[in-house]
Amino acid sequence: MRRSSKPMSRKPISRRAVLKAGAALTTLVAAPGVLRAEPAPVKVGLLQPISGAFALDGDLAKTGAEYAVKEINDAGGIKTLGGARLELVIGDSRSNAEAGAQATEDLQGAGVSAVLGGFASGIALTATQAAARYGLPFIVDCAVADTITERGLKNTFRFNPNFSMATELALKNLVKLNDDAGKPAKTVAIVHEDGLFGSGLAKLMQEKLPPLGFEVLESIAHPTPARDMSNVVLRIRSLNPDLIVPSHYFNEFVLFARTLQQQRVRPKGIYAVFGGAASSYRFVNEFPEAAQGVMDCNHWGDPKNPITTKLRETVTAAGKFYAYNTPINYSLVHVFAQAVEKAGSADREKIIASLATNEFDSGLMPYGKTKFNDKGQNTSALPLNTQVQGKDIKVIYPANYAEAKPVFPINS
Amino acid sequence: MTGRGLLPVAAAVAVLAVIPFLGISGSLLNLMIFMMIIALAAQGWNVLGGYGGLSSFGHAAFFGVGAYAMAILQARYGLNAWLALVIGIALGALFGAFIGFLSFRSGLKGSYFALVTLAFAEVARILANSANFTGGAAGTILNLQSGVAFLQFADRRVFLLVVLAFVAIGLLATWWLEHSRFGAYLVALRENDQAAQALGVDVFTVKLKAIALSAALTAASGCLYAQDYLFVDANIAFGSWISIEALFAAIVGGAGTVLGPLIGAIVLLGLGELTKGLSGGIPGLDLLVFGVILVLCVAFSPNGLVTLLRRLGIERRGFPAKTAKEA
Repeated sequence: MRRSSKPMSRKPISRRAVLKAGAALTTLVAAPGVLRAEPAPVKVGLLQPISGAFALDGDLAKTGAEYAVKEINDAGGIKTLGGARLELVIGDSRSNAEAGAQATEDLQGAGVSAVLGGFASGIALTATQAAARYGLPFIVDCAVADTITERGLKNTFRFNPNFSMATELALKNLVKLNDDAGKPAKTVAIVHEDGLFGSGLAKLMQEKLPPLGFEVLESIAHPTPARDMSNVVLRIRSLNPDLIVPSHYFNEFVLFARTLQQQRVRPKGIYAVFGGAASSYRFVNEFPEAAQGVMDCNHWGDPKNPITTKLRETVTAAGKFYAYNTPINYSLVHVFAQAVEKAGSADREKIIASLATNEFDSGLMPYGKTKFNDKGQNTSALPLNTQVQGKDIKVIYPANYAEAKPVFPINS
Repeated sequence: MTGRGLLPVAAAVAVLAVIPFLGISGSLLNLMIFMMIIALAAQGWNVLGGYGGLSSFGHAAFFGVGAYAMAILQARYGLNAWLALVIGIALGALFGAFIGFLSFRSGLKGSYFALVTLAFAEVARILANSANFTGGAAGTILNLQSGVAFLQFADRRVFLLVVLAFVAIGLLATWWLEHSRFGAYLVALRENDQAAQALGVDVFTVKLKAIALSAALTAASGCLYAQDYLFVDANIAFGSWISIEALFAAIVGGAGTVLGPLIGAIVLLGLGELTKGLSGGIPGLDLLVFGVILVLCVAFSPNGLVTLLRRLGIERRGFPAKTAKEA
């Protein structure tokens, strides 16, 4: 736009000058696209473990988030901000808590309007409080520790179900599964790793299973990493439980399932909650026999949504194995975009207010309408029950998302 | 005893104290705080490993005691943060003395001592992971609340100054060690403990005092870590990462020198951040570059970066005459 360089004149304003100015103003109003600059992009941080022990998860999450950003930008960006584009800024948490906080500081330095992700509970805990110092909105993706949303941090929201919500549903569905099959399972052995994940779950299961009619024969703990599961499986063989409830990370889960297979221990069912490998295509692909019939209650995208298929194809085409990180982070970006859209601003405070008060479509996640409570927890979030059937992972519960009927007992 | 050797120490602290007020980014400030916390842990390791020649692989045990004490005393008992800090340091020193008492009474040294410390740290990690008292595997969380009494500041530069004050105390303690009779005893038993004993040095007591001092410094670092990140779990507090960071920073910087651990921590962590920018979007490449630079550093300056500085003629009097390996 040209600016008039003419100095102010003391002459009275002529009619011609008024007409000229009027014409210029009309042109300005009539052609906003030509004269107005493109709106500033909305920067959004994605905090994921791009390197380190969880690099695989971080990579899958990034694929999902990038897909969503492209989709939103291709559809015209944020409408209430004049079509502002989303710009994804990646922060590498290096799979540890300190680097997670440091990466959050880096994202803050990059001027993002919000941070999405976190992945593991330890990282999410330090990163959300680092963000809280700047009033930077933070939406957690798949970290489950209940405490994340119980610290009174106004900036922190969690999209996924927390540990208590997930285990409650997992137990309810386990009872239903058993009842529907004529109650074949009466005894349970719990095998768990000794960290936050496994110990917490084992404790809860030991408390809750007996009142539901299951006898817990034993709870067997093992460290992570574990190199050998022979003794654990030998113990299980002697206990001969109807049902095994495992809770470990990927490698240990795979090792455990393979050892069960090698030693021909065939329980009526394996029912995992947030199982490390039970909902992993890598496991299914590499050890199809060991994986057969394994059930899990975990984060999982709506299998009937066509975008789920597209995302899975994108991940598979890149030579990777699809997992829940991709649909969660895809959906998270969409929730964020809706929050900005409804706030009509990229201002952090307004985004926090928008997240706290509005309802959002949940993208690919089976959450219906996402609604955050006063602590920042999405009250609609729920995990899905899956089972490895053939070479695929099928949703078996709840009915409105189910693709297949549960196969239980598996070794009758 | 002369105060002249204190000049580089004072200069280093002064420079570090001024940097945060030069308008640096929050990201750099956060990095500086973490650097100073690691430097303090490394200073603790240096007292025992550098001067005493008793290399520990388990300084995480002391770091963890400090971190957990800080978190639990505040979160569970509502204690004032400063009081929790003092108690955390004292508990760390006590735990150090306890491990020292058991190990030194049995005459453990060298790799045996290293393994025993490692075992203690691992036992502590497993206990902290399973006990309800520590919050189990879920860890202990501190609330974010600004105020001097909470040792949390809206302006994080103030917290950096607090951490820096502890690093300065660590520097002074090591400087004192170099110039005191106690330090001379410690170095003597590093060189040859039987000869030292023959000359009348009470080897057991000297080692015990050294491990208590070492543990106190590392526990202080644990306390400050808990206060900075407001979250502690067993793997953070007692995990092997901090034992490695502490001995790595001290050895790369120069074990058995006053400024070695500080320089080591700054270079190692600074390098880590610098190489982040060199990765060009390829995940993990920065760590590879970091590794190569580190190998080069160690290859060209095996006795620590302090000796490299000395060789380059930068140092005159500030660094001690000889490092552990040179001596």
